[in-house]
Formats: sequence, C-alpha cells, structure tokens
Amino acid sequence: MSSESALHHTLTDLLSGRVDAIHQDSDMVSIDVSAQNLLEVTQQLRDEPSLRFDNLIELFGVDYLDYGRSYWRTHEATTGGFDRGVAESDKGEQVIPWDKPRFAVTYIVRSICHNFIVRLRVYLAMDPPIVPSVVGIWPLANWFEREAFDLFGIIFDGHPDLRRILTDYGFIGHPFRKDFPLIGHVELRYDAQSKRCVYEPVSIKPRVLVPKVIRGDNRYLQEKTNAHQQEVSDE
Amino acid sequence: MSQPMQGQGFVLTSVDRLVSWARSGSMWPMTFGLACCAVEMMHAAASRYDIDRFGFLFRPSPRQDDLIIVAGTLTNKMAPAMRKVFDQMAEPRWVMSMGSCANGGGYYHYAYSVVRGCDRILPVDIYVPGCPPAAEALVYGLIQLQNKVKRQQSFLNQFKKTTSDME
Repeated sequence: MSSESALHHTLTDLLSGRVDAIHQDSDMVSIDVSAQNLLEVTQQLRDEPSLRFDNLIELFGVDYLDYGRSYWRTHEATTGGFDRGVAESDKGEQVIPWDKPRFAVTYIVRSICHNFIVRLRVYLAMDPPIVPSVVGIWPLANWFEREAFDLFGIIFDGHPDLRRILTDYGFIGHPFRKDFPLIGHVELRYDAQSKRCVYEPVSIKPRVLVPKVIRGDNRYLQEKTNAHQQEVSDE
Repeated sequence: MSQPMQGQGFVLTSVDRLVSWARSGSMWPMTFGLACCAVEMMHAAASRYDIDRFGFLFRPSPRQDDLIIVAGTLTNKMAPAMRKVFDQMAEPRWVMSMGSCANGGGYYHYAYSVVRGCDRILPVDIYVPGCPPAAEALVYGLIQLQNKVKRQQSFLNQFKKTTSDME
C-alpha cells in the first residue's frame, strides 16, 4: 500500500462525517470541506498525532467564473486563452460543465514528521464569499489570507488584520476576479497645477496582445490541402 | 576692443563651459531600482563598466543627487513616492528613463496597476530602450546625458532672459 493511499485511509477514518469528500488526485490527496466544518477539520489535521499537518505551504483563492467555456472553437484571437475545462473525446472537444460554486479557497498543508501532503478545498457559494480564518491554526496564513482578500475579495472571518496587501492605496475592485478588466478602471498622472499625482479614468482600450494558436483549425487545413493540390498540379 | 562684451557674452559662455563641464563630470544618481533593470544598473556600477570612472557615484539620498534613473516598472502605488523623491532633489536635476516599462509601460502597458511611462510622472531627459537595457546601453545613455549637460548654457540663457526682460 502506498503512503498516499494509507493517508487516504487514515483521513477517511478520522474525518468521515465532517468532510464532503476525500479523493486521491494524481498529485496528492484532496479533501473537500464546507466552510462550517473548516476550523474543526484544520484543527484536527494539525493536532492529531497520526497526522500533524503543522506546515501550511500555501493558501489561494480560485475564481471559476470562466471555467468550462470552450475557447477552442474560435475564429479569432481571444483574451481568454485555452481553458482546462475542455475535454477531447471521440465526439470532438466537449465543455466540462461547472456545477460547483464560483469561488474556492485551497489550502496545501504538509506534515513534516510524517512526510504527508494534502490539499484542502472549500467552495464558497455566497458573494462576497466568506470563510473562517485559519490564522489561529497556522499563523502563516495571515498574509496569504490578506492576499486572497485583496485579489479575489474573499472575506476571512476572524482574521486579525484583514487589509489589502498588494494593490494600490484606495484601490477599488479585486483584480484576480475573472470579471475585472485587465486595463483596470483608473490611471495615474502628475498634475503640475495641483503639484500631486492624480487618478483619472483609464484612457486606453483593452486589446489582445498575443493571438492564441488555434489548434486543428479547419481554415489552416484547407490552406494546406490547397497548397498541396497546387504542388501536384504544378508537377 | 571698445565694446568687448556687447551681444557676445563670451565671459558667460566660458563660465557655462566650466560649470557644465563640472556638472557633467560629477553626476550623482539616486539609488532607486524598481525591477530587473536595477540589476543592469548595478552591473553598470560594478567593476566591469564602473560608471564611477565618469563621475557617476550612487547616493542613497535625494538631497545629494543630480540624477534619478527610473530603473524598472513604475507602478501606480510607487509613483507618488517616486515623485516625492524627485521633488526632494535640488536643482539642477535630470531624469533618465531606463527600459521599456519606464519608457511607456512596456510589457505591462495594458495592466491595471502600472504607469504607462514614467514621463507621466517626471520630466524625462534621456530614454534608454531595452528590456532590460544591457549595462553598456545604460552607460551609453549616461554619456549621452553628459553630452546634453555639457551643451546646456544656463548662465547665458539666464543673462539673455534678463536682458530681454529689461528691453
């Protein structure tokens, strides 16, 4: 029995009833937990002698707003790029429907003494998304939660100092949300009259800078066959 | 010989030549690195290119500086701080914009958090292109700035301005 499936069994024994699902992904064991049970489950993950997940490796927000939209069947450049929520099958590419909530917070925790690693995921249905803070469990989460709050607008209930950490002072909006425009809403310039930097509404238009490659596009196939026929007829 | 100085201002041009030679030979840039361009700026200051040879000596205080090199991406959050540092520098002062990001936003032109060119914040004298510009390119830009400073005739211009005001 591999250490991962052993961990899977231990977690199932200890946490069943309080978590929504435990599944073994290709890279690590994942636990889906609801926001109500999060603190209880994280506390147990840290303190249980057979687990001792005492090291929070990362914490991040996810926005699934655009998940599963197919960008593959495009005839022009897109700003979205290719999405992971598209699967290839015998019937061609198919969109994987997303039936879970829009936001998620993912925690990756490691147990140093047992050499385990686990992914913990909380899906958040409400807007603004609210999840209990784990700063009391892993103090390292402090700045990570501030970052997720700043960029996704996820509110960490019980955080000691939930302020923005990266964006500008007085910034409005959450830039990593999929509905936030890349060019933003304001731009800055120095005003010689008032002798200070002033904000103005953004003056440029959004633009696609890197056209995406369109794999297996029939237009190119057509060109290719035409060129081939041309060569044959020339000979 | 009867009217030696009339309309010529050769004394002033000689003073200007001396002063601008002195200024260009000891320009002290502000230590103000913002991104990867700052690493090239460090290379220019290090032993291989050694801009100290041209009289460029990095100073950590804006009060002692003649030049500020905007070395990297200027973000909205940093821009007011940068302007404040520039405002604390004594006249005469010069500004160099180093790299694509400082010149016009560069790679981050369409980003929500970046100033689309540091000339929206500061009056720029010399633009150095590149992403990042090599240390040689920065040294070349600094020499161009020296040439620009050497050509400046601040005393003569002041004299012309005063006399034209009198007329």
